Amino acid sequence: MSTSEASFSFETMLDPAFSRAPQPFYREMRDSTPVLRTELGLFGVDAAMVFLSRFEDIEWALRTPGVFSSAFGTGAEGLGNDRPLIPLQIDPPDHRRYRVLLDPLFAPREVSKLEADMVDLVNDLIDRFIERGECELNGEFAVPLPCTVFLKLLGLPMEDLDLFLRLKEGIIRAYGELDPEKAKQNRVAAGRECYEYFEKVLDEREEAPGDDLLSKLMAMEIEGERLSREEILDVCFLFMIAGLDTVTDSLTCFFAYLAQHPEHRQRLVDDPAVIPSAVEELLRWETPVPMVARVAKEDIEIRGCPVKKGDNVAVVLGSANTDERAIERSDEVDFDREDNRHYAFGGGIHRCLGSHLARVELRIALREWHRRIPEYHITDHVELNYAPLLRQVENLPVTFDRLAD
Amino acid sequence: MRVSIDTEVCTGHGRCYALAPEVFESDDSGYGVVRRPDVPPELEAAARRAAGNCPERAILVTEDEEGG
Repeated sequence: MSTSEASFSFETMLDPAFSRAPQPFYREMRDSTPVLRTELGLFGVDAAMVFLSRFEDIEWALRTPGVFSSAFGTGAEGLGNDRPLIPLQIDPPDHRRYRVLLDPLFAPREVSKLEADMVDLVNDLIDRFIERGECELNGEFAVPLPCTVFLKLLGLPMEDLDLFLRLKEGIIRAYGELDPEKAKQNRVAAGRECYEYFEKVLDEREEAPGDDLLSKLMAMEIEGERLSREEILDVCFLFMIAGLDTVTDSLTCFFAYLAQHPEHRQRLVDDPAVIPSAVEELLRWETPVPMVARVAKEDIEIRGCPVKKGDNVAVVLGSANTDERAIERSDEVDFDREDNRHYAFGGGIHRCLGSHLARVELRIALREWHRRIPEYHITDHVELNYAPLLRQVENLPVTFDRLAD
Repeated sequence: MRVSIDTEVCTGHGRCYALAPEVFESDDSGYGVVRRPDVPPELEAAARRAAGNCPERAILVTEDEEGG
């Protein structure tokens, strides 16, 4: 590992080698520079970016929103959103008001109502390629699954799938544009389309409410007040960026791991009851969303490193999740791990709103896939590309070695 | 053994009631609630596991006094 204090920077995070196997990089960071200050911040003028990589510091940062704010990332520095995303980019005390409203819609009890639909969606996708003996797992499975679940949840027509996939690509990956100026333009254009799309849907729901999540959201009241149209749009925008890509990222990371670790894969086949804890362990080890961002609200010092008000703070969740100071045998992927206090869904008040939905999707996907396709491998001679920042395996061709009888 | 949840600290990860459903349950928002504050011996291991998997360390486990 050649990463040193001088060379580790935001660019390192964009390096394909980092995204493919970040765990050794995390270790290097934790050991050599647990609080790493780099000159270039993404949000704010003249801001630095400070990376936190130790479990202990990350735990503290996630639980101290008074110092580490989430209220940033709109307009020019955002993802094409005009206003803060609700509740992601809202600090206390307003944050609470939104979570009180949104949490019940994503609680396990509510999510479980979708389980039968999810099983069908997973099997429909598998039906399309199983006879072929191979598939491109990213495009044929991991991308469409969360999007179709999302359409179901929001009561939107399945025909909108392609439109959704396009908007998501525009907002999150700027249609693959790397030039920062052009990328920003692409994001703003996709963001505009996203607002327009949901404006239209909300108009329709106002006319004819259903039992979908959007109708429920529109009818809910906090202290006698309903959410405004703008607030609902800001929640919808968050759904687009938070609910689709992250599950795709997780599925591709998981299946890439399992395809390359036959003994772990076989365990899921032999003992499907282990799948829930396997999901937790793969979330810990892969941490598909490797970091979350905050902005310092005051001048502080962490382990002797100055952090100035306005500095960006990159909270490297993936590093917390592999920190041997807090986790026993942190380099070992063990589906029988007793204590697994991971931060793959973040922590503190901004704990991923969709975590219960994501968990059910991931469990069902692993269960149904391995029930039908117990043996598979990555198609020979293919090198996997992991996208930076959100760890998605962009190409995942797998060949099936055995199908269930 | 007794267990309690610090509701100021719990942020609804839902690990406790997933791992020890006989001891904890979910409220309507997905936050953990204690079902059995006095944990019978056969559920102690599950309750400990729930505490060990809570990312917020919101579960307080009090072991019985020796001989108590």
